[in-house]
Amino acid sequence: MDIIKTQDVLYEYIRRDDEGEVTGITTALDHISLGIKKGDFIAILGRNGSGKSTLAKHFNAILTPEEGTVWVDGNDTSDEDKIWDIRQTAGMVFQNPDNQIIGQVVEEDVGFGPENMGVPTEEIWKRVEESLKAVGMYEYRKHSPNKLSGGQKQRVSIAGVLAMKPKCIVLDEPTAMLDPKGRREVIDAARELNKKEGVTVILITHYMEEVINADRVFVMDGGKIVMQGTPKQIFSLVDELKALRLDVPQVTLLAWELKKKGLNLPEGILTVEELVEGISRCR
Amino acid sequence: MSIIIDHVNYIFGKGTEMEHKALRDICLSIPDGQFIGIIGHTGSGKSTLMQHLNGLLKASEGAIYYNGEDIYEKGYDLKKLRSKVGLVFQYPEHQLFAETVLADVCYGPKNQGLDKKECELRAYDALKKVGFPEDLIYSSPFDLSGGQKRRVAIAGVLAMNPEVLILDEPTAGLDPRGRDEILGLIKELQKTENMTILLVSHSMEDVAEYVDRIVVMNKGEIFLDNTPREVFSQYKELEAIGLSAPQVTYIMHALREKGLNVSEEITTIGKAADEILRALGKTGK
Amino acid sequence: MLKDITLGQYYQTESVIHRLDPRVKLLGTILYFVSLFLFNNPVGYAIATIFLATVIIMSRVPFSFMIRGMRTIVILMLITVLINLFVTQGDVVLSFWKLKITKQGIILAVQLALRITLLIIGSSIMTLTTTPNHLTDGLEKGLRFLKVIKVPVHEIAMMMSISLRFIPILLEETDRIMKAQLARGADLESGNLFKRIKAMVPILVPLFISAFRRAGDLANAMEARCYHGGEGRTKMKPLKYKSRDAIAYLILAAYMVVSIYLGRLSLFKIM
Repeated sequence: MDIIKTQDVLYEYIRRDDEGEVTGITTALDHISLGIKKGDFIAILGRNGSGKSTLAKHFNAILTPEEGTVWVDGNDTSDEDKIWDIRQTAGMVFQNPDNQIIGQVVEEDVGFGPENMGVPTEEIWKRVEESLKAVGMYEYRKHSPNKLSGGQKQRVSIAGVLAMKPKCIVLDEPTAMLDPKGRREVIDAARELNKKEGVTVILITHYMEEVINADRVFVMDGGKIVMQGTPKQIFSLVDELKALRLDVPQVTLLAWELKKKGLNLPEGILTVEELVEGISRCR
Repeated sequence: MSIIIDHVNYIFGKGTEMEHKALRDICLSIPDGQFIGIIGHTGSGKSTLMQHLNGLLKASEGAIYYNGEDIYEKGYDLKKLRSKVGLVFQYPEHQLFAETVLADVCYGPKNQGLDKKECELRAYDALKKVGFPEDLIYSSPFDLSGGQKRRVAIAGVLAMNPEVLILDEPTAGLDPRGRDEILGLIKELQKTENMTILLVSHSMEDVAEYVDRIVVMNKGEIFLDNTPREVFSQYKELEAIGLSAPQVTYIMHALREKGLNVSEEITTIGKAADEILRALGKTGK
Repeated sequence: MLKDITLGQYYQTESVIHRLDPRVKLLGTILYFVSLFLFNNPVGYAIATIFLATVIIMSRVPFSFMIRGMRTIVILMLITVLINLFVTQGDVVLSFWKLKITKQGIILAVQLALRITLLIIGSSIMTLTTTPNHLTDGLEKGLRFLKVIKVPVHEIAMMMSISLRFIPILLEETDRIMKAQLARGADLESGNLFKRIKAMVPILVPLFISAFRRAGDLANAMEARCYHGGEGRTKMKPLKYKSRDAIAYLILAAYMVVSIYLGRLSLFKIM
């Protein structure tokens, strides 16, 4: 069953001038239909302004579509009675780690979601412990979030969502403001959750190297889904990705250059090992 | 004309419980017209060092010379230094404040005491250099896209006609397209204006193509200082401090280990492809 | 400059005072304030000082830490005291030039100085020994009776707690923006008052914009985590009175009775 399904979703940003007259309309989502399978690790790629963040906000009813429908675990996001169920099912981690941590102590922040849901005190403590352990931040539970690195803060944010026991976690460019080390920490934590806890992960990003291990990749541009497939399928389309001005990992790019120059290499090379192996075979 | 950093130490939060040595015995000579990449983790001291170069932070020990003059000398004009050494902070668009793009870019020249016309000419010129569309110069900087805002913010520093331009992670938060555009722009400035550029980044891959020299910082010290080629050849040392060389370096090394006679000093994709074909004996075309 | 503010900062250590329920400390502080304004003789002040000294020692917060960062307040206090010293009418003790010092002035000034000192140190004890979270929890629960008259106690407490979380972030941001504008040649230190205020615009505008952006982000993040007001919320760390809190209340009551009784006795009255 699809944990998230969208049907013909349309969403527009309307700009108005000081008098309230409409001065322009940007179609952020242009009739998006997709299905996300339970337990999958999904990546949504696209450059700034492609609509990927707007789509993410539809997955937990922060935004609702103007036309079309979004279902989260069978619930229509336009149904106001279901809003807390939906937000509990699809947790969300945002871009700026500073602007989503509410608590002044790590453990208290992680407890914030369960507190809102009315979970009994003892159960909150249990969930906080489990969630912090799952992202490798348990030893920091008594720390102030202000003294953590960006990657650590984002892992606390993930733990905060995890403590609500969601079936699905949507990460909206969680690494855009982090350094390479922080990025690795966050992506590893997300992958771990997907593998060990079976949580569906939807990762929105513009860093190509973060999507290599995804089960399925959607590429967005101009509010539409322009490509979808496995990372291997997507990465074999280097020309198309370049046309969209998206990054291609150096390995893939080099393999593509070599292929263009007549070397007989397999399609969609993603790792150094694959490439070295392929080149060795050409000798 | 050059900058010399002579045995600089900086102690952060002196006398508080947060006290720590943010810079340890930094010696660096920055000749004119060079494009230098300053690489390091968050907290490695790279941003702290940059803020010393225009006198925003004062070294606890050591000296800094700009064009042969000691900037800590009594009576040295720090305000003038700041117009010579332009510093673009991380997320510079967060510092925009004026009602129009043009007015915002005029802020720097205005502080230099220039008259209105001169300010506007400078601003206009700077906006042109960063490739900002002319028809938008009277719009509010807050209505622009992220990439455009960043251009305006960089223009705001360029309008002061600096000789040295320091950029603290100028591509943070931009998508690949925005990143390539900004980096290309900076390279262009170095070439056409003969500016000295210091680019702070945590990504080797980003700077590899552009810079003449890489300074790697770690825990407040200079860890490596050399050409990109030499720095990347020490990729094992880089890994020891949690950094990594561009992927190409790893590919070339792996190929050599497999017995393919490729040069390990390649740092860019185009050259790597040619080198591999050469080693395979498949040149031609 | 901004870093010097240590007043009211939480000081992490283990002590009985730290472990007390925030409601006790809250009420204690209020009662202590009340007692200070009721005294009219030296005995009252003596008792109040001894009481405070005992609490300070029990709290294990170093006295030096406590008074650090109080410099600006001391200056303010000195000004107030001096004004009182010179403007109070009464029996002249000393006069030079156009200034007169009266007996009443001296008494008032000394009283004022004592009062302000005890007040400041007394209130800082609470913030020094209570985490901001505990404090807001204490306020929320301690003031719950105000809900009856439609005071949004939970919301106020939540707002307090969020502001406390964002103060260090915004201070850092101010520092960054200031440096960025300095790098563009901003002059924040010279000129008259009007000029200086004008020079602050390039710092305040970005700061406000950033604060609003953060507020918007935070609202989204809170909603995404199912926040919908105080209704139906449970607590991770619910406040529960322990026996030490009961003892503390008793001591407080005893202090109030004794100090006010002795502190108001006309027997010791000097005015």
